[in-house]
Amino acid sequence: MTIILNSKGFKLPRLEREKFINLMHLGLDYNRNTMMFSINSYNNIEKVIDELSIILGDDIVFHQSCVRCGKAFPCKGCNYIDVCTTKNLPFSCVCSQCLRDRKQFEEYLTKL
Amino acid sequence: MQKQTELLWVEKYRPKKIEEVTGNDEAKVLFIEWLKNKRHTKKAVLLYGPAGVGKTTLVMAAAKEFNFTVIEMNASDTRSEKAINAVAKPATAYKSLDSFSDGTNKSIGNILFLDEVDGIAGNEDRGGVNAILKIVEKSLVPVIMAANDPDIGKLRPLKKVSLLVRFQQVRIPLIIALLQKICLLEHVKAEFEALERIAQNSRGDVRSAINDLQSLSGENHSLTLQDTMMLHSRNKDISIDETLRRYFSTQSIADTSSMLAFSSVDYDDFLLSVADNLPKRYTDTAELARAYEYASQADMFRGRIGTENWHLLKYFFNALAKASAVNPQSYKPFTFITPPIRIITLFWTKNKRNILNNICAKIGEQCHVSVETAKLTFIPYVRLMLQRRRNHPIVSSFKLTPEEVNYIVTMGRY
Repeated sequence: MTIILNSKGFKLPRLEREKFINLMHLGLDYNRNTMMFSINSYNNIEKVIDELSIILGDDIVFHQSCVRCGKAFPCKGCNYIDVCTTKNLPFSCVCSQCLRDRKQFEEYLTKL
Repeated sequence: MQKQTELLWVEKYRPKKIEEVTGNDEAKVLFIEWLKNKRHTKKAVLLYGPAGVGKTTLVMAAAKEFNFTVIEMNASDTRSEKAINAVAKPATAYKSLDSFSDGTNKSIGNILFLDEVDGIAGNEDRGGVNAILKIVEKSLVPVIMAANDPDIGKLRPLKKVSLLVRFQQVRIPLIIALLQKICLLEHVKAEFEALERIAQNSRGDVRSAINDLQSLSGENHSLTLQDTMMLHSRNKDISIDETLRRYFSTQSIADTSSMLAFSSVDYDDFLLSVADNLPKRYTDTAELARAYEYASQADMFRGRIGTENWHLLKYFFNALAKASAVNPQSYKPFTFITPPIRIITLFWTKNKRNILNNICAKIGEQCHVSVETAKLTFIPYVRLMLQRRRNHPIVSSFKLTPEEVNYIVTMGRY
């Protein structure tokens, strides 16, 4: 099974001190009020995913956010997944609907 | 002044605002937060990632948006401590004079931007990295560095004092979106599949995607999937032999120029190969002289292009194409020399150069001079001394091995 996370905020089970510190070193942030983790630095994102996979005991993928419509969507089903060097990583992208829809594109351009 | 229509689209659509920089939004946020924060926890920032993903563009756009004056140094060109200090020290030690002006100039200060820091000489050479470290420590203005490969050893000290911001290859959908926008503004009717192919072919390099779009859409303002078939060549990674064969056998400057534009060979190696093979191509001395004249012009443009003036690439291709077309009718197939003689020579002399460098490092350590100084000013005298007396006390003083002594005595030139 694959676990889909949202990079803006996700919850993790209670962690050992060392694991928590390691995640902070790798670039995660923890909000005590909401008890949610978020990604602060993307420099070691591959290591973060490996670490989270170990903690959660499953494969981890992140939702992508569309720069045009703002919708969150998974990489699964993307036509370019085989050639993408950042697949499943939490970076901005354009969803397939926005990419193909010319009308939506022109609306987006007028907003700029 | 250059007309807007003649401009390269890469220049015409170069982002002027931060939000216009395509992709790497997360890196942009981190960098802008650092730039806006006046009390930096880290005094410098190191932007790193592959070429053509927008590192330099982001710095320029941010400087424009926040009204900074950019003092830029391409670190690949300026390597010595002296050269770095000459430019960077005044730029970082004082506030910009613009900030004291009457208000017509809105500059709020300087930014020191060191591009391609991975091209800077390390400690062993001329102290370039140390010079930057000192500048970062004392700087009163933000210091921004950019590198393609941050993992090389000599950048370790710089990484310690810098905020690291990683740039990723720009995603294909984002490149397609940018190409769609340019097509709309340039009134180019492009098939979606054609844009898709250009974006995939660019391998995350926005600059090359825009260049491909401009060269393929041509003057009729239309682009079909069929038009992009030529792009196959870049993906296929045609060997230098095949490129040379095509280069010497094409009949016109335009064909050669276009073939070079779609080739993925290393330009420096290719130029060396052309220079090596021209005497085989032209037997007439007058034709050969003209061909070398064009090749030297191409070399000059290659030097000016460096690592960032890619808008000059068309002149490089053009000069190189002229060298192949001095007399197209006289072409007869011949066996090429590849790889370039200079590279073969460097390969065969690598061991010898290593021995000489080791000897010079030992001399440098004892005499407190650089490897280069030892090579130029000490080795000739050491050689004379050892030729007269192999067991000269200088051997033990410099801790030279018998192999090294033998090398110095028998070396032909230094």
